[in-house]
This record gives sequence, structure tokens and C-alpha cells, in this order.
Amino acid sequence: MTRQRTLNPLASNMQRRQMLKMMGASGLGLTAGLPFAGPAVAQDKAIGFWASATLDIGANWSRLTDATGITPTFTDNGNDMGPVVARLAAGNANDLFDVGGFQGGAERELFKQGQIVPWDLTKIPNFEKLWPWVKDMAHLKADDGAQLGIPSVVNADSIIYRTDKLGVVDSYGVIFDPKLRGRVAMEDAWINSTAFAAIYLKGAENQPIGDPGNLTVDELGLVMEFLIKHKKDGQFRTFWNGWEQGVQLIADEEVDAMTGWEPIVYEGIKRGLEVAYAAPAEGYLGWGNNTVLLKGAIDRGLTDTAHEFANWMLDGYYGCDIATNRGYIVPSETTAGYAAANPADFDAADIMAKADHVAAKFNGKVFWQNVRPDNFQLYEEWWQKLRNA
Amino acid sequence: MPRVPFLLALPLVAVLVLGLAPLLTIAVWSFWTWDPSTYWIKPEPSLAGYLGILNAGRWTVLLATLAKALLAAVLCLILAYPLAYAIHFLAGRRMALILMAAITIPFFTSYLIRAFSWRLALGRTGPINDALVAFGLTDAPLDWLLFSNFAVMVGLVASYMPFAAFPLLLAMPRVEPSILVAAQDLGAGFWRIVRTIILPLTLPGMFAGFLFVFVMVVGSSTEVQMLGGAGASIVSVMVNDVMRVANFPLAFAISTVVLALLLGLVLIGNWLFGLSRLFGGGAS
Repeated sequence: MTRQRTLNPLASNMQRRQMLKMMGASGLGLTAGLPFAGPAVAQDKAIGFWASATLDIGANWSRLTDATGITPTFTDNGNDMGPVVARLAAGNANDLFDVGGFQGGAERELFKQGQIVPWDLTKIPNFEKLWPWVKDMAHLKADDGAQLGIPSVVNADSIIYRTDKLGVVDSYGVIFDPKLRGRVAMEDAWINSTAFAAIYLKGAENQPIGDPGNLTVDELGLVMEFLIKHKKDGQFRTFWNGWEQGVQLIADEEVDAMTGWEPIVYEGIKRGLEVAYAAPAEGYLGWGNNTVLLKGAIDRGLTDTAHEFANWMLDGYYGCDIATNRGYIVPSETTAGYAAANPADFDAADIMAKADHVAAKFNGKVFWQNVRPDNFQLYEEWWQKLRNA
Repeated sequence: MPRVPFLLALPLVAVLVLGLAPLLTIAVWSFWTWDPSTYWIKPEPSLAGYLGILNAGRWTVLLATLAKALLAAVLCLILAYPLAYAIHFLAGRRMALILMAAITIPFFTSYLIRAFSWRLALGRTGPINDALVAFGLTDAPLDWLLFSNFAVMVGLVASYMPFAAFPLLLAMPRVEPSILVAAQDLGAGFWRIVRTIILPLTLPGMFAGFLFVFVMVVGSSTEVQMLGGAGASIVSVMVNDVMRVANFPLAFAISTVVLALLLGLVLIGNWLFGLSRLFGGGAS
């Protein structure tokens, strides 16, 4: 699902860097002596943005160039933080990219490894316009309070269910209800499914669980034994992967309820199904994609450009574009503000409704998804045990 | 023949560089140590990767993968053999061409779409269950048609049967019609001819077809993930899981073990059946 603005963004980025290096060798005096130094400076304002495909706005990145002179090169990072972290730590990601757009949870670890650098918020005035609680998210800050990640989009997940079969569902208990044996599903991803099970055990069964997104060794054992027992009982029809499979499970009546993404409900309703998204009493599983400043940008003297880029993403246009075309929300007051000020470009009512809906979720109980819990390799080991149970 | 070494050199180099070198690298790295500070591996000898295979039931995934591959390969041979026989001995030239074209139909679409279409066909509301209920063969849709080992095997056989059929088609010309006529003249029945002449002469083709399917199933994942039950696994899925948490030595160790098993299978098969005979002309 890679969409790229150039035929070969990596090559393009490398050529740009080689060009800049060659120009740097000849010194500023050379460019100052040229009659068209202006455009050369504008070319310097290029940013390699390495992010989840959902953050790409395709041809509309031209709006960034129009507003700031920055030319971005978007590269899909695959949205899987395992390879992303490995490529930062042991690969060439910092040689190629300046800004990252990553699934949340690995920021503090990447900072400790020296792969990302804190943002200078004095250079990002739009940061102040983020929703208040978003600015205070602890997992996006270093120990000294420095801001490591800026939320690009946020949302919160729960349960998709058929209202014609189940009425109103308000608990993850439906996923583990023996009466629905073989009629429920979860995602084939420990990041989400262990967290959902932990939220249920913590909220509905008062089990001693601290942070469902970052389980200790004992908590993880408790949660996984619980899932293994239900799997052995035949509770789950399947573990699903990807958008198409998720939609198909609901659309073809393979399951009556499953943990998953809200857009699947929208797709189900479009197909005439009676489906809804639960507001579980135990809480939602919140997630975010965050913009991070890669160390390589600093090394290449692109600090200010990267900050300008990050500030533009919070300026309103990007939020409206993403909300309209992807259904995701940039958690900033600028999103609704820009939509209201530009009714010819965007459906303000639609965008505000989406923003209010997401904000309402976060007014309740939310636990954060964490792509890199402390015991992440143990998570995988337990997931194998679940697979093989 | 001075050109022969030259003609051999390029493909040989290609095989060595593109095929063997990465595999050797993986084998060497499987003995290195994971470094949590860099998220990569460091050249300190360790057997941790191989010991990891013994944890969390990973070795059972290896065995289950081999069992799936064995069953799929045998089923593919059982289905492909009569087809190859019919194309070679029974069909006219035109019909043979049509049948061979039909074998390639699974390749007309991507493996993802293929697996997904089986998901639709075998589901609770799919046409197969609809037909079973409509004809009164069952009272309710059969749940086990989808998200089960049965569904996985259907997907695997449907995808990989052509890989068994084509080596068999290559092997059939080794059975010279004059031998069959002679056997008939001497009073041998159909099954006796099949058992004593056709099967032995086409053994290299059978093994080549078996090997193709076996290797491809060992490396597959889509059919298992789309059609298997909750959390169904196969080696490729397990390696992917392990790579996601950057446990590279374990991923490399699993890959090395699989590689060794497949290599052993090829060598044993070649020793038993003589794969080179597949290209060696008619019966001797």
C-alpha cells in the first residue's frame, strides 16, 4: 500500500543529498555569486518523511510546498515498528529520512538509542493548539519533559458487533462469552489483542493489571493463559489480518462480534448491515501515529526545516485532508478551524462530527496501545504459545 | 565445445551470488548474538537462536509445516497424475493444449485473491454451504469448511497442483508407446501396466512435482493465514512474527533448519529417484 510522490523516492532523496553535499563543498560563496540563488535555497528545504501510509496525502503535499517551500518525499515505512526500529538502529534510515511518522510507543526507546531527537516546541507554535490532554501524553516525553513525538493522528478502538444479533454491546465480555463460541474474532496481532484482553480482565474481572498496553511478566502470563483457555474452548472463529478480511468477517456473517477498527463499521453500514461500534465500559484502546525528528535531519542541518514541516502538519489543512480522505483526526483545534474557514475545500460539518466523535471517545476511559512494551519479545513468545495451543 | 564453460559461467555466478550467498549469510548470522542496544546482531557465537526453536512450541510448527507440505504434495500428485496421463496418452493435440492451459488458470490471479476467493466460497454464507443446505445434505452451514485445516489444504492444493502437473507431463514421454503395446500383447492388464511400467518410468517426474509443491508449501503463508483457524501457523508466519520483535538470530536459525531439511530432502530424493533422468529421454 505504498504511495510515493516520486518514482523512486529513495533514489531521489539520495540524489538530493549528494547534490547538496557537492554544493556544500563549493561553499556558500559560489551560490551567493549565482544569479538564481533563491531557488537553490528553496531546493534545500526538502524533507524525507518516512511514515505509515495512512499519513500520506499524495498529490496534496503540494500545499505544503506552496505554504512553506518545503518539498517532501514521502516513503511508506510499512507501519510495523519492528523493522522500523531495526532499520533505524542498524540500518540506513537516518541517512535517508529526516522526519518519521510512527505508530506510538517506541519513542522513548528510540530517544535512548539516540535515533530520534526531541522537538524544540518554540519552533512549533501550532503545538499549543493541540487538544490539551494530547500535549501531556507521558509516553511522548523524555524523562526531562522534552517532547519526543507530536501526535499526527489519534483514535481509539473497541468492538465491532451486529446489533441485529446482539442488541447493544458495552463490554469486551461479548468476545469471551461462551454463548458466542465460534462466533467472535480478534486481530492476529499481539499488540492489540493482548491489550484488549487485558483491558477486559482489568475492568470487568478486577484482575491485578496496571497498564494494559505494557504488561509485566506476570500480567502477560495471566492475560495469555486467559486467551489460550478461550482459544482451546473454540471461542474464536479466527484471528483476522487486514482491512479486507475484517470487513469480510462481518459482511459474510462469519462472526457476530470482533475487536477491530471503527472504519469496518462504516463499511458494514454502507453494505446495509446492522453493525455498530461498542463503547465498552472497560475502556477503549487508544492509538496514535506520531511525528518524530530523526537524528539524521540534525546531522544534515535540516533542523529548522523539519520543525517547519511538523508545524505545518498541525496548521489545519493537513488535518482536514486526512479527516476527509482517511477518516482520521489530527487532535488539534486547527482542524475544525481550517474546515470552517475553507468551506469550499472541505465539508466542515463532516470533519467536525468526526473530530467530536474521536474527542468523545477520549473523554471516557482509554488505555494506550504500545508497539514496544518493555517485554516485547516475551509477548511474541506467548503469542506463539497461543498459536500452538 | 569451448562455449559450454562460458554458457555455464553466467548462470552459475547468478546462482551463487543471488541464491547461495544470502543463504550462507543467514546460516552464519543464525549463530550470532542479538544485541538489545542496537536491535541488531553482533558477531559473538551463540546457540540462542537454535535453543529458541525448542521454546513456545516452535518446533511443533516446524513439524506441522512439514506434515502440511507432505499431505499437500501427495494430494497434488494424486490429482495431477491422472491429468498428466490423460493429456499425454488420451487427449488429442487440441484437447491436450486446452487441458494444459486449464492447469495454468490458478496463475491468472494473485495468490491473495485466490485464497480470498476460497474464503468466500467456503464460508457460512458461501455457495458451497448454500448448496449443501439447499440439497438437504446438511441442516445448517458447516463451520469446519472454513477456518480449518481442511480449508487450508483446499487452498494449498488449488494453488500448487500445477507445480506437480508440469513435471509429470515432462516425465510421461519417457513411457514409450511400443512398450505399452508389447505389455498389452503379452496379456498385462491396465493396472499391471500402470504399476510395473508407467509408475516406475515416471518416478523422477513424480518426485520433481512432489518437491516443487513441498518446497512451495513450506514457504507459503497466505493460505494458512486466510483460511486457517484462530492463530493458525506455518513456518513463514512464525518467522514473520519473530522478525517483528527483531529476534533475528531465532528467525535465521528457523530459516537455516528449514533450509537444511529441504536440502536433505532434495539429496535423498535425487539419490533414490535420479532427478537427472527426468531430462534424460525415453525408457531404457
